[in-house]
Amino acid sequence: MKRFVPTGEMTLGPFFPREFGQGANDLTAFEGRPAKGEPLEITGRVVQADGSPLDNVVLEIWQADANGIFRDPADPRYAQADPNFFGWGRAATDAQGIYTFRTIRPGAYPGRAPHVNFLILYSGLMRQLQTVMFFEKASDPVLDAVEPAALRERLIAKSEGAARYRFDIRLRGEGETPFFDD
Amino acid sequence: MSAPATWKSKYVIEPRDARTQSAGVEPGYAQTEWRWPSQPLQRRPHTLSELTGPQDVLKRLAPVRGDLAGQGAKRAIGQLIHLRTQVVDEDGAPVAGAAVEIWHANAAGKYTHRNDSHDAPLDPNFYGAARMTADADGRIELRTIKPGAYPTGGAERWWRPPHVHFSVWGRVWLSRLVTQMFFPGEPLNDSDGVLNAIRDPQARVRCIARLLPQTEGPENALVYEYRLVVRGSRATPALP
Ligand SMILES: [Fe+2]
Repeated sequence: MKRFVPTGEMTLGPFFPREFGQGANDLTAFEGRPAKGEPLEITGRVVQADGSPLDNVVLEIWQADANGIFRDPADPRYAQADPNFFGWGRAATDAQGIYTFRTIRPGAYPGRAPHVNFLILYSGLMRQLQTVMFFEKASDPVLDAVEPAALRERLIAKSEGAARYRFDIRLRGEGETPFFDD
Repeated sequence: MSAPATWKSKYVIEPRDARTQSAGVEPGYAQTEWRWPSQPLQRRPHTLSELTGPQDVLKRLAPVRGDLAGQGAKRAIGQLIHLRTQVVDEDGAPVAGAAVEIWHANAAGKYTHRNDSHDAPLDPNFYGAARMTADADGRIELRTIKPGAYPTGGAERWWRPPHVHFSVWGRVWLSRLVTQMFFPGEPLNDSDGVLNAIRDPQARVRCIARLLPQTEGPENALVYEYRLVVRGSRATPALP
């Protein structure tokens, strides 16, 4: 039974330790052992309302492994999860607003198209923002929930060669990325 | 193979109560108007993807010492405090082993951070950041010094009251919490643009730590107690 109200979220502030943003953006191996699947690079630029890039934005991702299984006992197929794929990572943007993750192409599973969940934390963002990156147009209950429908294409990454995807994030203004409230 | 399309979560996330959270754009805090989306946020169904999450992020992020005050000749300047924190969910169930990141300014209101241009001294014995794992009861105790107030830059120029930043992982992806903890009785609390972005006065009070009776802690430190509530509760079992 519910007893407590969730604590109010507040901004990360300008002084999040820079070193806390480093060292966790490569999901292609865990504890030195390579994950199964197709390695990918996901990169993009984070900008604010006037189009200027933002430095040291913290981005976190959560995704399924190559077989579409999450590394969490709540996943009914958890027993078959790739032990060498952690599924979670963190990157921070550089002075040009660019972030980069190295990861594995997530597998599809019944009910969802392949996707990567994104969480964004930054100074002046009073609470976390969440969005989702897709690899291609597909039928998906989360993508299909975005209204108006014309905005859905903004959640589809641009393929830049076989193993590289570009997913730019515009917090506000023209071409604004759709974000989710849950 | 089971079909997650028919998967039912044992754990649910209910919509945020707007009065207990910032609206995003805050008058008097110019950056929020550059960064918070102008379009209404989208609603989505919650599936396996949102209702699972990393189980132990400190396997990915190296732990950082849980004593910021230091010892002996390496003691940081400032009022010694212990922060007794518990991470619970909306049911009040402790989040065993929750990962927590904590960072704050030194006693003079200065961060160990290259972007901090406030005219205040650094303390060579104070680093100001910790990464810890809660115990089986969701508890963390951090020994540190009380942070000082500092002025914000820009046109607004208000002073931030003493506060401690927290970043917490709950049970699932949607339980992530980033917030700030405040100290009781601070006059700057009343005018702070971050604390007062929480419109519900009771929710605001819950962001302020409680000073425990002076007999509760070690002789040389004040002890503050603070509860972090992450989103999520057990699903109500369906009626037969
Ligand atoms: Fe701060």
